[in-house]
Amino acid sequence: MKTDIKKNSNQNNTNVKKMKLLESLQLPKDVCLGALRVTLTGNEEAWIENYKGLLEYSEEAVLLQGKNCQVRLEGSALTIDYYTNEDMKISGCIRNVCYL
Amino acid sequence: MLNLLKQTRGYLRIHVSGFSPERFMNLCSNRDILLWDIEQDADGYRMCVSLQSFYRLKAIVRKTRTKVVIIEKCGLPFLVPVMQKRRVFVGGLLLAIAFWYCSTWFVWDIEVDGNYRITTDQLERFLKSRSVRTGMRKDELDIGSLEKEIRKNFTLVTWTSAKLDGTKLLISIKENDAPILSEEDLQKTVTGTDLVTEYGGKIVSMVVRSGVPKAAVGDEIEAGTMLVDGKVPVYNEDGTVREYILTDADADIMLEHIKEFKSTLPYEYVAKEYTGREKKQPYIRIGDNFEGKIPVEDPYLIYDRVMRQSQPLIFEKLDIPIFSGSYTYREYRNVEYEYSLEEAEKLLNEKLMVFLSTLEEKGVQIIEKNVKIDTSDNGWIVHGEFLVHEPVGKRVVTDRGVETSDE
Repeated sequence: MKTDIKKNSNQNNTNVKKMKLLESLQLPKDVCLGALRVTLTGNEEAWIENYKGLLEYSEEAVLLQGKNCQVRLEGSALTIDYYTNEDMKISGCIRNVCYL
Repeated sequence: MLNLLKQTRGYLRIHVSGFSPERFMNLCSNRDILLWDIEQDADGYRMCVSLQSFYRLKAIVRKTRTKVVIIEKCGLPFLVPVMQKRRVFVGGLLLAIAFWYCSTWFVWDIEVDGNYRITTDQLERFLKSRSVRTGMRKDELDIGSLEKEIRKNFTLVTWTSAKLDGTKLLISIKENDAPILSEEDLQKTVTGTDLVTEYGGKIVSMVVRSGVPKAAVGDEIEAGTMLVDGKVPVYNEDGTVREYILTDADADIMLEHIKEFKSTLPYEYVAKEYTGREKKQPYIRIGDNFEGKIPVEDPYLIYDRVMRQSQPLIFEKLDIPIFSGSYTYREYRNVEYEYSLEEAEKLLNEKLMVFLSTLEEKGVQIIEKNVKIDTSDNGWIVHGEFLVHEPVGKRVVTDRGVETSDE
């Protein structure tokens, strides 16, 4: 248990250091940290980049796995216009974007 | 653009079902297989995949234990085998395209515009003599030299422009508006003319511009009487005539006289009564001479024929003289009718109005009118008497014989 807490604190320390370094060098965080990038146009279209894979897809919800977290888009009549290794586009009526 | 690329390379709409279709999609994206238009349905997902990528799906399908079913095949690679079965259709289509393409190499119509004194026939003859004709190749046409030659050959033409509009050669010309007097016109001398009256009556007004008046306002004259003399005498100091100068008499003279109008209308007339039976005969016409139509034997005993012709837009734009249309044969009976009094009055009035409008065009003023409609053995008769003021003055060549006798 103690080792887990130690590991987490070490990870947090390295993350803080990384963030500080990126901020000082003014580098984009999505490229360097591999953070999920979600671009929304109104509530009808969403472009998502830097994901690892698709975990769940239905007309009501799309669940995606990122490097550090998961993102869940909820709505109705959701369709995936295209799906590649780099990015994907989701169309439909998006009601909710959740980071898990 | 992207759609065009997809269509040319070909793509498939597939249905993926099984234990984990999401894994199937993830593996596809990892192996750079593009999936698009992904939709969920009752028991799986529908999506599009390119034809090339489809052959790479086999391993993924085996790994994910999903089932892939082709729903639709789209694009050119799937169209070619279908077309191979319909060789005649494809051949016809290609021939038609080739025909349209080749037909744009030629001039199919020549239009001349702006000519008033030079007739179109003259210009067409000229163009023919210079080998400019319908059906010639466009690249054989030298527009610049054609314009020069038109200006050179027709002295009346002050400006010319020729241009190719599609397959049509448009020649616009402008003629010299100023009157060109010939040498004969310039040498022409005044012969001398008198004015005589065509009708008998009473002169009500008279304005003489040249010549010697021979009648006065209020005179009762007969037809053929001289009104203005074209011989103007020049007197000596003692009052004798020295010579006569010939001039063209000119005057505005109004004559009051009675004009009559008479017209008849038979009691009966024959009119067509259509029975309602019709036959249609479609045809195709190429040029002025060839006409292809479905033969129809004498359709009815008595009939008339109505022709409807149209030109498909593509032929109209290319100015290719191919027309389609139909003849409609309509059967009718000749039925005798009798004019009622109202009908007869209406028709006779129409005739009278035509007569009156021609009088108005001639500048005749109607002072009084008296019109009666009567019946006779043959039919209806309209008889009208009009007291009119009519301009008179017919030109006749002056008699020179008097001139010599006076001397």
